[in-house]
Amino acid sequence: MADAKIIRPARHISQKVRKTGGPSPADAIMRALNAAEDLMGQYQGWAVDDLGALWQKFNDTVAKGDVGTGDIQDMFDISHEIRGQGGTFGFPLITVIGDSLCKFLDGRGRLTGFELEVIKVHILAMKAVFRQELKGDQDAMKSDLRDLLELLRAKVDMTSNFGVDSPSDG
Amino acid sequence: MNTSGYSLDGLRVLVCDDSRQIRSLINSFLNGFGVKSVEEAGDADESFERMVEFDPDLVITDWNMPPTDGLDFVKKVRNSSESPNPYVPIIMLTGYTELYRVKQARDAGISAFLAKPVSARALYKRLTSVVDDQRPFVRNDLYFGPCRRMNVRSNYMGGERRKA
Repeated sequence: MADAKIIRPARHISQKVRKTGGPSPADAIMRALNAAEDLMGQYQGWAVDDLGALWQKFNDTVAKGDVGTGDIQDMFDISHEIRGQGGTFGFPLITVIGDSLCKFLDGRGRLTGFELEVIKVHILAMKAVFRQELKGDQDAMKSDLRDLLELLRAKVDMTSNFGVDSPSDG
Repeated sequence: MNTSGYSLDGLRVLVCDDSRQIRSLINSFLNGFGVKSVEEAGDADESFERMVEFDPDLVITDWNMPPTDGLDFVKKVRNSSESPNPYVPIIMLTGYTELYRVKQARDAGISAFLAKPVSARALYKRLTSVVDDQRPFVRNDLYFGPCRRMNVRSNYMGGERRKA
């Protein structure tokens, strides 16, 4: 095996930055938050559109009856987007719910009736967060919600693994 | 105003994300930090085109940017003969935070990882850590990118064991 070559590039980002003369870290962060204030205010509008797309995809999937990996991937992609944006724009509960939904969908090859219900619960929970404008830290609720959704996912996975009939099967 | 902090006004930053809203937010954060020159791109191909035209000092990229992905973009920046600066620092900003994903990104040659949801504070911290990052680059048969050893033990007495 060949030795690795160690390179010290002549060009480095630090050459373009002076380490003094700029705002203090606290000031820089405050300015950044001020600069982004308008966008933060607009988030709920477009997030509701994203959520509408997820709801539409879910309903189309249920109506079609035949749930393929492409449908699951589509729902995962939208949920993944929502998960990343929620907390970034001041809605951490959206990230908690989106994260739970991503975990539930990731790598899943098929969906039974129970599993579709889990997806529905997640989407309705996100709608409720926006409807009630549950912004900000929400620390206590975040923790409770995370635990509750984890329990729900585990319960449905256990039920599916033991072959219990789902609502749509019976 | 307290002027004890980093002066970032000379930096050129390329922000790559398929979400227009996230791009706008990161752009706003960077403007707030004092960065004056920011370009945006919405997918991996467009990102590389911007990279060639704009020759940024820093790239902030998402992972999931259909139809191609951010990892391919990172590999192209590091390895393509058309890349204007294979050594440019790259921050991967993504919701993919599982450990195996972080390792994949590291092995593609990123400089730093930043998880979504992102805050202004987290972005500032990561940006300044990249400015201070003095790790060399490593090239072997399997990897080209920043040295993946984040901690160097100053009291290490053994020989160099790094091989391709």
